[in-house]
Amino acid sequence: MRRALYLLVAFGLGVALTLPAFAQEVQTTSIVSFEQPVLITSIGQSAGAMMAMVLAQKAGLSSFVYKQRASLKDVEVAKTLIAVLGASGKGLGAAGVDIDSEIAWGKKLFAHAKELKIPIIAMQIEGEVRRGPMSDRIINALAPQSDYLIVKDSANKDGLFTKISTENKIPITFVKTALDVVPILQEIFPAKEKGDMNNG
Amino acid sequence: MARRKSPLYSLGGWLLLFLLLLGVTFPGLGLGPTSHDVRPGYGVSELRWLSDYLPALKGTPGDTPVYVMKGKKEGGVFLLLGGTHPDEIAGIMAAILAVERGNVSQGTVFVIPHANNSASRHNNGHWGHPELQWLEITTSFGERRHFHYGDRLTQPEDQVPDPKEFVQYPSGEKFPGYEARNLNRNYPGKPDGTLTQQVCFAILQLVEKERVDVVMDMHESGISSRMAYMLVCHPRALQIGAMAAMELEQDGISIKLETARKEFHGLSYRELGDRTGVYAFLMETPNPGQEPNIDHPDIIHDPRAPLNHRVYVQLKTIFALLENYNLVSPPERAIRVSFPFPLEKLDTEELGAFLR
Ligand SMILES: [Zn+2]
Repeated sequence: MRRALYLLVAFGLGVALTLPAFAQEVQTTSIVSFEQPVLITSIGQSAGAMMAMVLAQKAGLSSFVYKQRASLKDVEVAKTLIAVLGASGKGLGAAGVDIDSEIAWGKKLFAHAKELKIPIIAMQIEGEVRRGPMSDRIINALAPQSDYLIVKDSANKDGLFTKISTENKIPITFVKTALDVVPILQEIFPAKEKGDMNNG
Repeated sequence: MARRKSPLYSLGGWLLLFLLLLGVTFPGLGLGPTSHDVRPGYGVSELRWLSDYLPALKGTPGDTPVYVMKGKKEGGVFLLLGGTHPDEIAGIMAAILAVERGNVSQGTVFVIPHANNSASRHNNGHWGHPELQWLEITTSFGERRHFHYGDRLTQPEDQVPDPKEFVQYPSGEKFPGYEARNLNRNYPGKPDGTLTQQVCFAILQLVEKERVDVVMDMHESGISSRMAYMLVCHPRALQIGAMAAMELEQDGISIKLETARKEFHGLSYRELGDRTGVYAFLMETPNPGQEPNIDHPDIIHDPRAPLNHRVYVQLKTIFALLENYNLVSPPERAIRVSFPFPLEKLDTEELGAFLR
């Protein structure tokens, strides 16, 4: 219910129609929809991207690739980019990068996706534990560049994501727990057969 | 000419003889492993010692009991480590509860409640609370049971003096000297190394020899530490960790998921995971006793992190990890464990209600 409300609000604001995929899906039940294959990656190297991969599995998506730190080439074969935003000192250390270069890299990745007209879903599904100074830098730099936001309630206690969504007219869906993302993925990535039928 | 012994000399001789006898008769007063009040239940099929995996440990303060819980059905193997840092008591109590009340229906579970048994002997006040030496828990029979509240590090008298700088073996990574006595910096260990290295080596031997599939190393942090409620996964184990974390969230347990950092050496999940095929995890619950700023911390009843809740979170995490491990593993390597009471009860009732 709550989710539908947010989508409705977003729709009411007259957004969400800038993407071709959105326009196609207006007649169907879902306002926002995206295409597969999906590239799932992390900006900030937290474990959130792995969680998103498990969620994609649970949602039964037919075509997705998980790359903890994707390359520009990885983006080129995708039709949707899911970027999970969240900084982990351990994760950045494992990747051998610091927060500044990670943000620079995230911007580059997003710019490349935009060039190729690949829509970006930004996720924060780890909640308030990923709302430290490093994570916030990533969120502030990249969430405004996304086309759709999926955010865990507890990450929005200070309203940061509401603000980003409103100011940048980005539709947003809030979830209580990470597993609540499963039905959302099922809805925004319609089963291929259905998509084919619609197109045919 | 017979020399007359002075009275002092003979007194000294007797004293020496007495001390020698004492040492021989009560090895606890000399070298030897500290013993603990652990009461194995129906689930335990065999008692082993860590020295079974490295005979050099036998009779040393580093030796420690290994409880083997074999299920009726063949399956995978799980190693549960408590007391890597014996001041992190939720892990020790969770391991003891597993030994006393746990059951295994498939696979084999090895439980080591006091992984660093030397460190468990007494608390030197690493976190500023040397008054914490014993944990008193009253059982449902009204019996008061006592459990050692140990130290973070191997007792200094049990090992060669700390070097100025501890060079981790074999990575060469450098740490402050006292870390030479930190079990969770000494993996993979060394068969002829320091006591701490030997304990690490013996645990690695167990993991290899018993073909362990999953290992959980239970820890605690301060209650305001960013590490509280953190589940650290070896990179290969991250997917299982992510699956478990999201399920735990449904049960109201919010944990922070992390993956091991490559350049941090000597840690259990890192070295055991790299050197064997094991899915390696480390879990941290918050312990008021590790908070230097709390005066007289209540390590059992602090409402912010009562011990029964911490033990519940440790065990619930293990259950979630094993369930998801079973999902991604061949059925013949499945591991199934249970308790004769709903785990959730642990979250609301005192720990003593569940111990033997
Ligand atoms: Zn610890």
